[in-house]
Amino acid sequence: MAEITITGVRLVDYRKIIKKNLSKGRSSIPEIEAYKICDAFDIPYPCTEVVREKSESFKVAENVGYPVVIKVLSPDIVHKSDVGGVITGIENKEQLSKAYDDLEANIKERAPFAKIEGIVIQKAMPKGVEVVIGGLRNEQFGPVVMFGAGGVLVEVFKDVSFRLAPLDPREALKQIAETKIYKVLQGFRGDEPCDLEAVSKLIVNTGRLICEIPEIKELDFNPVIVYPDGCVAVDARIILVR
Amino acid sequence: MERPTNLGMDGFFRPRGIAIVGASAKPGNPNNQIIEYAKQMGFKGNIYPVNPKAGQIAGLKSYPSILEVPTPTDLVVLVVPAQACLAVSKDIVKRRKEKGDVGSVVVITAGFKEMGSKEGQELQRSLVDTLNSVGARMIGPNCVGVVDTFYGINTTFSVPPNTPKGGVALVSQSGAFATSYLRWANDQKLVGINKFVSLGNMADVDIREMLAYLEHDEKTKVIAVYMEGINDARAMIETAAEVSKKKPIVVIKSGRTELGSGVANSHTASIAGNDAIYEGAFKQAGVIRAKSVAEFYHTARSFDKVPLPKGPRVCLLTVVGGPSTICVDELASSGEVQLAHLKDELKKKVSALLVPSANVGNPDGYIDMTASVTSKVHSQVLKLLMEDDDIDGIIFMTTPPGFLDQEELAAEILAGYNSVPPKKKKPLLTVMLAGNAVSKCRTILEENGLPTFEYPDDAAKVMVNLVRYSCYRRENS
Repeated sequence: MAEITITGVRLVDYRKIIKKNLSKGRSSIPEIEAYKICDAFDIPYPCTEVVREKSESFKVAENVGYPVVIKVLSPDIVHKSDVGGVITGIENKEQLSKAYDDLEANIKERAPFAKIEGIVIQKAMPKGVEVVIGGLRNEQFGPVVMFGAGGVLVEVFKDVSFRLAPLDPREALKQIAETKIYKVLQGFRGDEPCDLEAVSKLIVNTGRLICEIPEIKELDFNPVIVYPDGCVAVDARIILVR
Repeated sequence: MERPTNLGMDGFFRPRGIAIVGASAKPGNPNNQIIEYAKQMGFKGNIYPVNPKAGQIAGLKSYPSILEVPTPTDLVVLVVPAQACLAVSKDIVKRRKEKGDVGSVVVITAGFKEMGSKEGQELQRSLVDTLNSVGARMIGPNCVGVVDTFYGINTTFSVPPNTPKGGVALVSQSGAFATSYLRWANDQKLVGINKFVSLGNMADVDIREMLAYLEHDEKTKVIAVYMEGINDARAMIETAAEVSKKKPIVVIKSGRTELGSGVANSHTASIAGNDAIYEGAFKQAGVIRAKSVAEFYHTARSFDKVPLPKGPRVCLLTVVGGPSTICVDELASSGEVQLAHLKDELKKKVSALLVPSANVGNPDGYIDMTASVTSKVHSQVLKLLMEDDDIDGIIFMTTPPGFLDQEELAAEILAGYNSVPPKKKKPLLTVMLAGNAVSKCRTILEENGLPTFEYPDDAAKVMVNLVRYSCYRRENS
């Protein structure tokens, strides 16, 4: 991967990632490469590595630092948790060993034809408020960003709001304020208020990303975990225009 | 050959003459009504019926073809059958090349793209291409056309010629919807318009272009839009965002259908229906979206009548308890409006005017004068509230008792409102919870620029919309 460094910021040649995946006929970008695109747009995510073999995983997990989450890396699986492709709360080597076997068994059973390219080992993030930040290209509106309450129940609660991209942080703050999850972010029942500025920045950057890469059809950062100081996208799903 | 006159959109609203092709001599026919309505508007130019079979229509000399019309005529209205429209458009091209006029064409005729047939679509395409080839512009087809109350233009068979003049410009993808609004409002003079544009199939002139035109139209104070759907929604929103910095746009949008096409692979795409995006885009552009027909009606006309509130602090002045609670509920649920804080000094002055059982400031921002209040006290209390800089808007709620004279009550409410200079004016929305029993009082207030309402929640929604828009304006201009 071509990387250049300008005043300490790591700039990734994301065009190459897009081009490579399109030429392979893929409809989505593998999670680990999606994070490289995140780098280029200043979208924070946890320390993440990929292993191809179980034997490598222990050393890598040691480097990433427990607790970790493991996820299946497969171009054929879009909704990983639906097929048991995500295991969380792994505290040590023994648990990792078992989780690794469990995950492989889950995929074998529930997505037997999926090609497994590796296992993603990601630093587990502490609890925070879970939101979703997404983007899509609409035929009437062009690039659009979404913000809302995150997690697997996004479609059930539909607590989301939209804006046309690009947008500025002030507009993103208004977008956030239109949802119910906003109350939780403000500090619900004595909790410390969350870092709304960081969330609005992530929305703005998602807008830049969808505007600048016309090959992207839709994308989700779900969940984005929000803390009193900062926020982090713990999953990245980027779907390409085909 | 004359150089074609390029009046642009002005040709529709400020033409030198109007020709109505397909006008009928038969009373009771819409194509006859069009001529009658056009005549009743006080238009200073000539109106020419075009119909090869009639000598005279409604007392006007009829011409066999648009080519025979004698004086400069900028606006041509087509009511001939769809197939005949194309032939007329060729005459228009010929005349435009020879005389340079006929640059604005309203096609009322239906039977084009809306039929869903290939033929209809192609006929519409040919019609637009033919007209555009000589720089002529088209509104429609499948519409009722345009009205300009100040300039005396009315190409419709449905907009009453006596529709009051005002600052509302009504732009609609449905002729029937916009017409219903004006007919509903006519008796009590609730709405005053300066322009009415029914866009029909929008084959040429569309919503975006109308917004851009009305931005610079001096007579237009508020743009009210009924919208179904458009192709380039982004361009429309971008124009709307610019226009909103100068004047309010109120929209009601129907067709809340889901995106439906293709299988979504992300959470975002699976819940991103077009309507949800419209919702966000309207907010981003400062466009006020009404959720119901009543909210649309009242919001559009109120923007025309009242000044913008300077902030979100609203005082509720009432003589009735229950309906006021409904109003407070509606205000509070918006999260954008708050009840004003009444200072002790103000409360003392107000209390001194009222009976001891009156409630002044419980909850804060709420004053119940009780039903024993006289007409005179209305103006005295309203004066105090109008003068107070910690109040940004007032909702006044009453079931006017039978013992108060309607004209006197209206006069006192107006006196209270007008007790401050124009710069200090703030929105006063009056809810008269008595239907037609107080229609005289309502009409006086409406004629003098104070909007009135029948239902408390309608007034509350309008106040929220006023506050929302004024907030956008403060932040964006």
